[in-house]
Amino acid sequence: MDEKEFNKMKVCDFDELPGPKSKEELEEMKMPFEEYCRKAFDPGNEMTKPMSLAGIRWLSTTMYIFTPHSAANLAELGAEVIKVEMPRMGDPMRHTSPFNEAYLYPLHDTRPMTGTGFGFLNANINEYYITLDYHVPESKRVFYDLVKMSDGLTECYRHGTFDRWKQGYRQVAEMNPRFIYVWGGGFGYGPKIFGGSYDILGQAHAGLASITGTHEDFGGHATKCTNWCIDWYSGTQIAVAALAALNWRHKTGLGTMIEFSQVQAATRMCGYTVPLYGRFGIVRQRWGNWDTQLCVHGIIMTGKVDFPDRDNPQEKFESRYVMLSAFQDADFKDLCDIIRKPDMFSSYKSHKERVGAPAQMEIYKAIEDWAKDKTRSEVVKIFKDAGLLAAPVMNDKEVYESEHFRQRGTIRWLDDPLFGDILTHCTYSAGSLSKTPRRLMWQWRPVGADNVKIYHELLGYPMSKIEELYNRNIL
Amino acid sequence: MTDIIWCKKDIGGGKVCDTVNYLDPYCFWNWEGKVGCAECGTVYYVHMIQGHNYRGPDEKPGEKADILPLYADKPNDGYRCYMPGVEGRTRPFTCLPRAVYLGHADMVKFSIRGHPVRGWRPQPPSTGVAGSCGFFWDIEKLSPEVWAEYQEKIKKGEAKDW
Repeated sequence: MDEKEFNKMKVCDFDELPGPKSKEELEEMKMPFEEYCRKAFDPGNEMTKPMSLAGIRWLSTTMYIFTPHSAANLAELGAEVIKVEMPRMGDPMRHTSPFNEAYLYPLHDTRPMTGTGFGFLNANINEYYITLDYHVPESKRVFYDLVKMSDGLTECYRHGTFDRWKQGYRQVAEMNPRFIYVWGGGFGYGPKIFGGSYDILGQAHAGLASITGTHEDFGGHATKCTNWCIDWYSGTQIAVAALAALNWRHKTGLGTMIEFSQVQAATRMCGYTVPLYGRFGIVRQRWGNWDTQLCVHGIIMTGKVDFPDRDNPQEKFESRYVMLSAFQDADFKDLCDIIRKPDMFSSYKSHKERVGAPAQMEIYKAIEDWAKDKTRSEVVKIFKDAGLLAAPVMNDKEVYESEHFRQRGTIRWLDDPLFGDILTHCTYSAGSLSKTPRRLMWQWRPVGADNVKIYHELLGYPMSKIEELYNRNIL
Repeated sequence: MTDIIWCKKDIGGGKVCDTVNYLDPYCFWNWEGKVGCAECGTVYYVHMIQGHNYRGPDEKPGEKADILPLYADKPNDGYRCYMPGVEGRTRPFTCLPRAVYLGHADMVKFSIRGHPVRGWRPQPPSTGVAGSCGFFWDIEKLSPEVWAEYQEKIKKGEAKDW
């Protein structure tokens, strides 16, 4: 066989095949998996690696958390995101929480005593901050200039507002056919198109709040998650759609419009609720800290707290919840022995017998009765020593102190270039990428802080024009 | 319920005052007295019980008003309005919170691990055009006293990694 014939038979080169190609690579392959992961993800050294979305420019004409967070997701991955805010005012979220208290100054040169609250953190990271008042006719040209230079936009205005202002998808697609446009509407189109939304409205309207919390029979009520989980969740869902749209554009050269209803996002989190209704007509109820599919698999309360002497009520009164899991027959038998109720195992030998509501009520009560004279850590230790799964329900202080999160870099300190030492959980809690990790460069910047960078350096506006637009409150 | 007094007083020239005077529902929940119109000054007597208008508004010419409306506007005149706190027309309203909340904000200069934070007020204005500002806030130059305190903390081992 001559070389020509040999090459004809080949379907790939040896170098393309998986496997070690050098001594270093061979060593790497011999590493224990744990060590390999530490080396591959290497928390703290994200800045030395490339960014997967570098070269993508995105406009964030957004407010609050839901839509801003979608653009921040792209910025974490390296996209150049430009946040557009109302001149002098900024995103209303800057003034919203917690308890309308501001901690970070200044908001803007013209408002030196007006600051930004912590609620604004994490939703707009790594972005450039410019100002533009869309209501003024002269701002149209500026907006279109930005569109022509960008790959996409996320907006959160009421239905058709941007369309009416001639800056909706139908208009901008004619200027930039590759443009990807996200409308993060409250209800989205449909009979309730006129509705705006909040996170709590999403949790309530999508059916999630009705199945969260404890049943009224046990003194509970329909409950929303304390934090705005739907804002954060749906923002991430938008980012997934934007990445799909970018891939579609890569194939076809064409942009697309993404319509995202915040109140429907939570529906996806309802699990088997909808199919259950469809098949049996059963409306799912709340089951609180227990589980409708597994038992024992829930959160119990112990009689004593771990930190009775602390000042913080979260520690002084609430360090007494334990997550417990022992749903396999053998594990459940061990659990019954631990709580000195071996006869309970005789009553509920199989999973099917245990998972029913009356059985769960009896089983969890028995566990809590046993735990009445014990602290959280005592209960966790007893169950862990017996080989069962148990974990304390931790507050954010304990999460901060957790070595696991610290070593992984999930929670870390950022020396923000403007605001100094800030403890942050964003970015690094959203999964790790070995080659192109997410990264956090800065939390946010004052209103209009990048006006010159974007309008002058990117769009090429002369400084005199920028000053003129600024003095007329258009920027 | 009467939480507004819509003044229809004839102000001469075939014109009426046509001003909506907004009463503060909290003060007026159980209240009896005289309110002056923000536009023309006409005094009206009202008596409110549990937020409901029990008597009035009745004109009381020549009498002095006990109180002024909180806010007033003219919906048929382009919503021209008198904001709260316009002397002689609306009630003073300083929008201050209760005394317990009037303390000075505690401007934290160090995080819980002892490293300097920034962003306390007042901050120096940016030097850039159109509100633009630089990327790095050099604490050593811009807050030398905090920088000095930080150096002390480092010496004492109070600036920790975690």
